[in-house]
Amino acid sequence: MAVGYSRSISRKLTVMNMLVSAAALLLACAAFFAYDQITFRQSLVRTLSAQAQIIGANSISALIFNDPQSATNTLSALKSFPNIASAGIITSDQRPFAQYSRDAGDEVLNIPAPPDGRLEAYWFRATHLVLVHSIVFQGKTLGFVYLRADLHELDQRLKRYAAIAFVVLLLSLLAALIVSALFRRSVAEPIVQLAEVARAVSQDNNYSVRAAPTAAQDEIALLIDAFNNMLQQIQHRDNALQAAHDELEERVEERTRELVSSNRELEAFSYSVSHDLRGPLEVMNGFSYVLLKSYANQLDSSGKECLQSIRAAARRMSELIDDLLNLSRVTTSVMHREEIDLSSYARAIMEELCRTAPERNVEFVAPIEVKAYADARLVQIVMQNLLENAWKYTSHHDRARIEFGFEDKDGRMICFVKDDGSGFDPRSTDRLFQPFNRLHTSAEFPGNGIGLATVRRIIQRHGGEVWAEGAVEKGATFHFILEPNRGTEAGRPV
Amino acid sequence: MGRDLGARAISRYLVFLLFLSLFGAQTSHAQQTHPTESQVKAAYLYNFGKFVTWTGTNAGSSASFDICVLGKDPFGVVLDSTVAGGNIGEKRVTAKKISSLQESDHCRIVFISSSEQARLKAILAAAKAGGTLTVSDIPHFADKGGMIEFVPQENRIRFEVNLPATEEAGLTLSSELLKVATRVIGKTGN
Repeated sequence: MAVGYSRSISRKLTVMNMLVSAAALLLACAAFFAYDQITFRQSLVRTLSAQAQIIGANSISALIFNDPQSATNTLSALKSFPNIASAGIITSDQRPFAQYSRDAGDEVLNIPAPPDGRLEAYWFRATHLVLVHSIVFQGKTLGFVYLRADLHELDQRLKRYAAIAFVVLLLSLLAALIVSALFRRSVAEPIVQLAEVARAVSQDNNYSVRAAPTAAQDEIALLIDAFNNMLQQIQHRDNALQAAHDELEERVEERTRELVSSNRELEAFSYSVSHDLRGPLEVMNGFSYVLLKSYANQLDSSGKECLQSIRAAARRMSELIDDLLNLSRVTTSVMHREEIDLSSYARAIMEELCRTAPERNVEFVAPIEVKAYADARLVQIVMQNLLENAWKYTSHHDRARIEFGFEDKDGRMICFVKDDGSGFDPRSTDRLFQPFNRLHTSAEFPGNGIGLATVRRIIQRHGGEVWAEGAVEKGATFHFILEPNRGTEAGRPV
Repeated sequence: MGRDLGARAISRYLVFLLFLSLFGAQTSHAQQTHPTESQVKAAYLYNFGKFVTWTGTNAGSSASFDICVLGKDPFGVVLDSTVAGGNIGEKRVTAKKISSLQESDHCRIVFISSSEQARLKAILAAAKAGGTLTVSDIPHFADKGGMIEFVPQENRIRFEVNLPATEEAGLTLSSELLKVATRVIGKTGN
């Protein structure tokens, strides 16, 4: 490519030089030739006029004493002028008096009319010049002499000129070639080099190359300087950008490291706390059970109630610890995505819930199949939490409706769990997903405030989103997206 | 010295014109285009003056340029009409009829009529002394010491020149004149 460019520019220079010199030369040749033609014709007329005058002067006595022989002898002197094809003398009353013709048989038939009132006249014909000159003796016109010269010499001159012009043209074209070769070094080469550098820059994105500067102080040098400056600026900017990028990366990595370590510490701490809390709790639970079984007859009813309360509290604490451990596990466990059917999960969970409270009148609606590409165990936890919440917060109503479904928005599948239960104050939406944050008292609705926090963790781990809509006594809807935002992905609903 | 085709064509043309003038209509146009013998001779007499230089005794002494006819005049009014209004040099040309050269010293050119053949020697001697150009159509006039002799040739009037005779009389003839003469006596190389 670059070679083609370089050829084209030097060829253009060469062609330009040659055209200019050829045009100038041809014009000059044409001008010279025209000038030569004019001067040659003028000199031809002058020569012919002089010859006519001499012949005229020498033919006076022949005309006066009516001696055509003498005039013919005079005319025959024209033999020494090969360009004169024919000549003749005519008397003042238009009679032919004497004739001469260079080539035998070349009779001059048409004698041109003598000029009226003029001493001399001439006509240029296609191949001939005819000149007529009056023979005047002592104020009296005795007759006319005419000469007919052919213009072969003009043709010969034209041919000679053409030959010379051709040779000079060749020489000047050669000179133009040499000159353009010299100019190529000073004009085309720097441009070609610049083009080569520009190509290297645009193709290889290599901004470290520089165009070689020229010694000349012309526009090309300016162009090269400007180009090099531009490259330098781009390089500086690149470096600055890279430095900023590197710094940012480093900072992010540092932060991530810090976060990971503190997270790990926190998880280790909460795990150990939960685990260690379990032991004493089991002891409490076990001994309170033994106390209730073995010493039931020694305890009165209020003592038994106290024991029951202790046991309930211990159970709640155990559940809380389980949930905390779950939350911790959700954060640390390894993700394994696969194709799953959310609808079947929802149905199984609802069946289980209905079995625990068969007296409740709850309508459950779900599509036949809702396919997703996600971690089965974690999504099971999400569905469990959301449906249990719906079940729980509709428990104060005689009739309830719980719906699981999905909608397609801009190519992303948004799943939702909707109920017509107690709902929540929309102003508290932000607090919903924070751990241990409850909008209702335990007396109202049992719970420990870990469920939605767990849901959010899982959804976040899937790269998705979760949000809630609702109003007091108007029910609540929890929306979630399980996929990262990147257009098409396996597990989309059909 | 062979004549070329052009000259022959002109001769034939002239013969044709002569034929026309003899047997055809005697129109003024025909007379103009084909002059008579005496007209030609008169014109020659007049034109000789233009090609001769007089250095003799009577040169310049007269106010006019006299062309004299000695003896029986063959021209009539033709010579008068030919020279009428003509000038040679600065001088008016006049035609005179004379009976002897002694009558007028101012004759530049004298035409000796054939009637004077008997007195030729004396006339020539007188003319030579007076520096007068002698012209005649007497046969062998030039050979007999005359200066210019009219000779008919191919229906045309030509003339012969006796160069020594002119030189002896102090006359210089132009080479142009000699060029058209049919014969030049005494010319070197002739």
